[in-house]
Amino acid sequence: MSVTHEEVLTIARLAELDVDEATLPVLTEQMSRILEFVAQIGAVPASESAKPFVPGPDAVRFRPDEVKPWPLAFGPDKLAPAFRGGFFLVPRLGQFEEEDQ
Amino acid sequence: MSDPGEALANAKAAADRIVKAKRLNACLTPPKELRQSLQKQGQAAHPSGVLYGMPVAVKDNICTLEFTTTCGSKILAGYRSPYEATAVAKLKAAGALVAGKTNCDEFGMGSSTEHSAYGRALHPFDKTRVPGGSSGGSAALVAAGAVPAGLGSETGGSVRQPASFCGIVGIKPTYGRVSRYGLVAFGSSLDQIGVFGRSVHDAARVLSVISGRDPRDSTCEARDPLRLPTVPESLQGFVIGIAKEYFPPDLDPAVRRACDRAIRVLKELGAAVREVSLPHTQYAVPTYYIIAPAEASSNLARYDGARYGPRYDGALDLRTLYRTTRGEGFGPEVRRRILVGTYVLSSGYYDAYYRRAQQMRALIAQDFRNVFDRGVDLLFTPTTPTPAFKAGEKLADPVAMYLSDIFVVTANLAGLPAMSLPIGRIKGLPIGGQLIGQAFLEDEMIEAAYALERMVPGAEDA
Amino acid sequence: MTAGGGWETVIGLETHVQLRTASKMFCGCSAAFGAPPNTNVCPVCLGLPGALPVPNEQALKLAVRAALALGCTLHPKSVFARKNYFYPDLPKGYQISQFEQPLATDGALSYLSPDRGLTTATIVRLHVEEDAGKSLHDRFPKQTAIDLNRCGVPLIEIVTGPDFRSPQEARRYLQTLKQVLEYAGISDCDMEKGSLRVDANVSVRRAGEAALGTKTEVKNINSFAYVEKALSVERDRQVALLEGGGTVAQQTLLYDSKTSGVRPQRSKEESHDYRYFPDPDLPPLVLTEEFVAQQQAQLPELPAKKRERFMTQYALGVADADVLTGDRAVADYYEAVVHAGADTKLAANWVINEVLGDAKTHQEQLRVPPGALAQLIGLVRGGTLSQQAAKRVFAEVAERGGEPRNVAEALGVVQVADSGVVARWVSEVLGAHQQEVTRYKSGEIKLLPFFVGQVMKLSGGKADPKLAQKILEEKLAA
Ligand SMILES: [Mg+2]
Ligand SMILES: [Zn+2]
Repeated sequence: MSVTHEEVLTIARLAELDVDEATLPVLTEQMSRILEFVAQIGAVPASESAKPFVPGPDAVRFRPDEVKPWPLAFGPDKLAPAFRGGFFLVPRLGQFEEEDQ
Repeated sequence: MSDPGEALANAKAAADRIVKAKRLNACLTPPKELRQSLQKQGQAAHPSGVLYGMPVAVKDNICTLEFTTTCGSKILAGYRSPYEATAVAKLKAAGALVAGKTNCDEFGMGSSTEHSAYGRALHPFDKTRVPGGSSGGSAALVAAGAVPAGLGSETGGSVRQPASFCGIVGIKPTYGRVSRYGLVAFGSSLDQIGVFGRSVHDAARVLSVISGRDPRDSTCEARDPLRLPTVPESLQGFVIGIAKEYFPPDLDPAVRRACDRAIRVLKELGAAVREVSLPHTQYAVPTYYIIAPAEASSNLARYDGARYGPRYDGALDLRTLYRTTRGEGFGPEVRRRILVGTYVLSSGYYDAYYRRAQQMRALIAQDFRNVFDRGVDLLFTPTTPTPAFKAGEKLADPVAMYLSDIFVVTANLAGLPAMSLPIGRIKGLPIGGQLIGQAFLEDEMIEAAYALERMVPGAEDA
Repeated sequence: MTAGGGWETVIGLETHVQLRTASKMFCGCSAAFGAPPNTNVCPVCLGLPGALPVPNEQALKLAVRAALALGCTLHPKSVFARKNYFYPDLPKGYQISQFEQPLATDGALSYLSPDRGLTTATIVRLHVEEDAGKSLHDRFPKQTAIDLNRCGVPLIEIVTGPDFRSPQEARRYLQTLKQVLEYAGISDCDMEKGSLRVDANVSVRRAGEAALGTKTEVKNINSFAYVEKALSVERDRQVALLEGGGTVAQQTLLYDSKTSGVRPQRSKEESHDYRYFPDPDLPPLVLTEEFVAQQQAQLPELPAKKRERFMTQYALGVADADVLTGDRAVADYYEAVVHAGADTKLAANWVINEVLGDAKTHQEQLRVPPGALAQLIGLVRGGTLSQQAAKRVFAEVAERGGEPRNVAEALGVVQVADSGVVARWVSEVLGAHQQEVTRYKSGEIKLLPFFVGQVMKLSGGKADPKLAQKILEEKLAA
């Protein structure tokens, strides 16, 4: 299973990762090798009935509906790279803007 | 119960030793901050706790109120967590001291502690070599004698592999034994906090303290903390399985010699040793390198520069902020895994990769159940195919790096408890043997480890 | 049913409903509306490194009740899944939702279609998920402000089949859905506060065609009043496009209530690829039979059932029964009036006309106690009050309270059943209308109601009309 430059760029956009021109060829080659390596599990006869294995409890436990937030030692204003008037601030993005306006 | 001044004295001595081991680049906490905090913690420590005054180094992907939590990544440079991990809270409640944050592969992604944004950690006995990873910093500090115990974390062997390389004890508990609340997620269905100790006893008692139920982690089992076994006289009644897949023909002969010696000791101790087979073992590494990156690609989506952590440029529009922050903030191995993980989950590929890997994982887990169902109590294997490798040796070839985890990833995939303990040295470099136990039967595994530890000359060449 | 010119409209709805809980879906933060920004937040809903979700029991109970109320098949095991996408008000970079294995599927909701009468909408699936935060784009120049208070609030998403044939039908379905959810205490369904949100899939096709046309998704319909408008606008747009020889592009459109138009949401560069996979932080959601039975027991009688019962038990027509059961409080009120002894049909008329009319202008309050209304109805029936007088008494009781009997007396509107008094009024009326008396006597007996009316008028509404009629007939026959 090998991937093309274009596929790597598409995936990178989906993952919101900058990939520069210089690293693209190496990255494409490495990704192709990794994907080829992991694709070997496709050679094992698939058993459709095989239930996926998930470790941990068989059933999720519930939390009682109480207002009891896990505590914060300090507020979001101390965490945020940009914070004003109680809000986190991020630069606008045209295509995201439409929704609430 | 303890001398109230003891913790303060321990704190000061630990700070001195950690600062002295600075050349290993194992501890990321600046010396001054470390000393100040340890002094404060030493004064505040609760004398009635079972770990009163014990300094424990903590891997930098576990949230603490003391010190920053950077996960070895630039994307969390300077990040202070406003809450602490359950495991850390339990340690502190038992009187232990958080003895600095330790270097690791970025977000736990690596097997050498070379993939850290804060420089590589060094092997404590040979600075040209790696201490293993991703919890290499904690392993190196414990091996160097700076602290008696440390916390690491495992997604695919990241405690056992560095324990093997550094010649110490490393335990990964059953999935769900220790709360993951406050452990920064990499592969959530694989991640567990693990422990390092210079002895089985030190590692086990730290594990016992951090284990047990936690209402904040849905994947943590509602069980009482692990009860420590006593040191056994013999291993009479134990059935130890030797899986042929873990002893391939091309295994390093010195590693095989060390294992053979340990197996002889097991027999001498009265254990029945039985050859078994885990036929899907060869697919464990590829299965792991689908599931772990897939989960990671989602777990690491939150690092976008919007709510915490530094922003790398991109002040003009949101998309640029995302892409540059993530592009600059993540190192190459993390970027690779995010891309692979995104790919295997993306539309059109999910069935062939992720769903397939989940089925494969079920077969791997079933292999273990089959063996345990036939009366085997524990499996014994080498922890790593080789002793510590040279720094830089596997950096250019990610697949070769992945294959160094071949004996350790299975326990993570199957959610089983496993541990590494020293079984000898090869040209001065430690090598570990691995015990893999049944789910939630860590006590049996630790019992066997106690016996082995006493009888196997771990510090001698095999 | 058709959009004119032989076009048929096909609409499917996806409704997000906020569950009525005190705390959020996966953390202990308050789910209350209106707190100062970023104050109802914790490590979990801020998406801090290392934080983990733990599901809210009450949210699951309400979701199961919703599924039962909508006649869905509940799955004993369902799975939380991550829906991955980047958006600044989605702190984890994924929404915890359900995908391959939802909580419930295959339900139905019957509603009264204005075109087709009682109609059934299919519920394709119902799943549990968490809400995102809020992005404010007009707060600061060139910046988007993020408030995460709403982030993690519990929701259910209810998806219908492409079952609606007109915007009116879609609206009636939504009203019925809201009724059911309010009845069962599952949600307060307040669109203005965002606790009920609806997205619509709209397509049109030539009448008689079996294949569906290309659909668009209409979002941002943020008030009940806009549902019909937004869907009509989009239907008309598609019809106009097709009739002009064009094609409909599959896209997401935002409804703009200010311009009453739709405009495309500027699309992302990539088509949405949400990379759903089971959330490894959450074990499967397993429902025991006992848990489901407990939730079933918590469900009240739902509107459709109640409507049927009202029709048989109280001998009401479908229209009256529909109005009376539309709101749980009104239905309970009606039954209380009946239990207090009122005639079922009279009570229905009074509740529908007077009580609901009064409620409309008084913040939906049912101001006259059921016992008082029953008494009032009894007074009319027993001839103590005329219909006219009773309305005055009703208004007075609604305004100032009091026993209808006493109020009627205080107002001086109690009917006079003293034959001597009524006879005097009759004589006066007959004396004043000689011409009509002559006409009556010559055979024009349909004038009788006229005389009764005049007596009532003269008495100020107090004369017992039956008695007045009897005396009139006697006197006119003499
Ligand atoms: Mg949804
Ligand atoms: Zn919260």
